[in-house]
Amino acid sequence: MLKHREKRRYVAIFYAEPHLYKPVQLHEIIVRRFKELFGVLYCELAMLRLYDSEFGNTLFIGCKLKYLDNFLFSLSMTQPPVTVISLSGTLKKLRKNVSRLNLETLKTIETEYKKGMR
Amino acid sequence: MSKILGLDMVGIDSNYATDSIHREDVILRLDGKNSIADYCPYLIVSDNMKTLDAKTDLFMIDPLQSKDGIKRKAKRGLGIEISISSARKLEAHMIGRWMRHAKYIHEVCNSNKCQFILSSGAYSIQEMVSARTIESILKFIGISATNYWEELSEWLETKNKAKWIRQC
Repeated sequence: MLKHREKRRYVAIFYAEPHLYKPVQLHEIIVRRFKELFGVLYCELAMLRLYDSEFGNTLFIGCKLKYLDNFLFSLSMTQPPVTVISLSGTLKKLRKNVSRLNLETLKTIETEYKKGMR
Repeated sequence: MSKILGLDMVGIDSNYATDSIHREDVILRLDGKNSIADYCPYLIVSDNMKTLDAKTDLFMIDPLQSKDGIKRKAKRGLGIEISISSARKLEAHMIGRWMRHAKYIHEVCNSNKCQFILSSGAYSIQEMVSARTIESILKFIGISATNYWEELSEWLETKNKAKWIRQC
């Protein structure tokens, strides 16, 4: 039996309107889109897993490295729109990367923009 | 935001540009030349094939609607842009068609020496697309990401040079 583990990548995803979507719901939407585009088999093999992010408006999802392109493609074709803000080989590094980003500024920009549109 | 997404430059519609227009990593997207264009890098953008002329830098196209006339209209040096936001709301089978048409547009760009541009078409931060995601989409269309970024940088440089000469 092979002892090596397949490499994974962890993606931080920024999304709008946390009051409308819980992380679990958004994860379901993303997985559904992946299935629609690449099929149930690829979706199972990609092992798209949701992790606790501890940051508001941000999802952490892990997937196998082999299917990373498929996953990113699905994300870009998902409605409601979501943005990949960081990508890493370990959850620990991903958390570190996201904590360095000024997410509060992003949220403020988004709020100001919405106010301006009204 | 552009740094977070791994992008060196972003295009902003002149209607939405405020104090960000003086930044080095911003290119304005204008309908026609106006006073802002004297001190900012800009591109003249059109989405109407009828108004396409020699001054137009960038032509926005919906791959599912208007790809037929593009072969005749695409002149050397013109940028042809397709945006991801239009595909986002489509059903899965239509995304497949969108990809096929995007591939055709890329082939037309190659044969007419135009610049193929894949943009987010974003109206909000969440709609913006990271560089790595753009590379994944390019991979599915069948375009080398390295070549794409190189050609896009060269094209943008050429456009900027052309404007400086015109102004002098």
